[in-house]
Amino acid sequence: MDKHRHSIQSYCLIRDRTITVNGQRYLDVEPTAALLDFLKTAYRQLDIDYPKFHKMDGLSKAIFIAVELIARESGPYNDDTALVFSNYSSSYLADSRHAMDIFNGTHPMASPATFVYTLPNIAMGEISIRHQLHSENVFFIFDSYLPEFLVPYGTAMLDDGKTSGILSGWTEVTDTRCDVFLYHIGKTGGMPHTIEHLKRLYQG
Amino acid sequence: MKAAVFIAGDHLITPLGLGSAANFGRILAGDVAIQPIEDTDLSDHRIHAARIDENVWLDNIHHPQRYTRLEQLIILALQAMIDAYRIPVDHSTLVVLSTTKGNITLLHRSQTAIPAERVFLPVMADALQHYFGFENRFITLSNACISGSLAISVARQLLQHNDKYQQAIVIGGDEISRFIVSGFDAFQALADEPCRPFDRDRKGLNLGEAIAAVYLSKTPTIGAINIMGIGSYNDANHISGPSRTGEGLYRSIREAMRQAGDPALDFISAHGTATAYNDEMEAIALQRCGLTAVPVHSLKGYYGHTLGASGLLETVLGIQSLKHDQLIPSMGYAQQGTNHALNIITPENQGTERNTTLGTFLKTASGFGGCNIATVFQKI
Repeated sequence: MDKHRHSIQSYCLIRDRTITVNGQRYLDVEPTAALLDFLKTAYRQLDIDYPKFHKMDGLSKAIFIAVELIARESGPYNDDTALVFSNYSSSYLADSRHAMDIFNGTHPMASPATFVYTLPNIAMGEISIRHQLHSENVFFIFDSYLPEFLVPYGTAMLDDGKTSGILSGWTEVTDTRCDVFLYHIGKTGGMPHTIEHLKRLYQG
Repeated sequence: MKAAVFIAGDHLITPLGLGSAANFGRILAGDVAIQPIEDTDLSDHRIHAARIDENVWLDNIHHPQRYTRLEQLIILALQAMIDAYRIPVDHSTLVVLSTTKGNITLLHRSQTAIPAERVFLPVMADALQHYFGFENRFITLSNACISGSLAISVARQLLQHNDKYQQAIVIGGDEISRFIVSGFDAFQALADEPCRPFDRDRKGLNLGEAIAAVYLSKTPTIGAINIMGIGSYNDANHISGPSRTGEGLYRSIREAMRQAGDPALDFISAHGTATAYNDEMEAIALQRCGLTAVPVHSLKGYYGHTLGASGLLETVLGIQSLKHDQLIPSMGYAQQGTNHALNIITPENQGTERNTTLGTFLKTASGFGGCNIATVFQKI
């Protein structure tokens, strides 16, 4: 099962309040920091000017940062780089915010700016715009990070010639938990795109 | 050469009835599921929507109190599929579930018998799996309004690359809730009348409910439909508005047609939500693909926008159209409403344009997040 035709070109892990890129520490803040404060600190450290970032929900922000950091290692991405993401709670952060908006006792009022993020694939739209990816996107909802599914799925896409590269992984972001593990799969690079290897990288 | 994958069966639960043939008959008779609804659970004002009256059908489920309304409807459809096509629930069968919001009503409605965790899609999928005892865990995806069509694509790829799976059920469903109505209202996307896809005076969309399923097989049975080509590309343009150039849809159609060997199309089943921007974008993409002369319909004028079910619902009805060699008129259309004229199917012109046989159609869908998909289906 460990034979592989494709490689992990680079990867990013955002776990709790720590960010690592290819195993190297990028940012580490106190574990008690609020999610959005942590993500804002990470954005500032990127030193880019992208005002759209501030409109995003927490899920999109975390994914945006991870994909930006991966691009610095193995980008720019080819235009056809496919996006195959997964998580457990879909867009729960935005869902609960929208629910608060509309069931707020005194002034129930839905906000389009919140509602649009109540779909998990919006984050894939955000990074498609940022990196100009005209590609296939699919957002799976699983119990946990499932390389046993994602590795053969990504391999099949590459073998079928659907795409020359894939950004794939696990993107679970809630108020209490931030667990984002994204990686760039392509033809070159030293790390094998295998279930076993990805399990090790995900352990951190 | 990858193995072909066929649609060997299907099922629908909609406000117009149970089963694909019954629904096809109803819409050819001009019946429309969209109605004015005054229900304070959904909205403080009257809306036009197409809602399933579940009281007619929710009888034959074991322990119904253990399942949400949406789960019960999905169970009914899965049971009908398993019974009709004798689908084994063993390791050889894959189930792909498509939904945008699943049990989102659990976020704001106290259903004491249902654990709150079922708002999370993996928990809902497990409950459905265990009801039937399927050996494989469901593969669930949530990809906005292209979810249903994308689920067919995902299931096809899994069948082609995995010898373990011999067949798949692809099932999609969503229900209308205050959560969804308020959001589309905030976007001012809802029409206060039955929607009019591609029409000059269209005012927006209606929400609808449906459970739609297809049975995919690697074996070509009599009457099966071949999935000839699929393309799916993001616009990379805007998260809540369609591309002005129809770029992602254009690329999706081109790729689906290339894979299919550029067949002549007998009709196109468009997304056609009846919002100003969506329909215009689709007309631009079809014009760029040189497909404006092909007869085209949107079925949203009958069923509204059924979200995670829509790609599947409209595919199933397109297949009915192929099987009966009869085009379905685009309900709600009267006058050209896009800059590029399209050959919209109407009750008046479908008589003259009716083929003696229909063989091939294109299904398209587009959604929030800039996603698009196009699929070519053909009779074998």
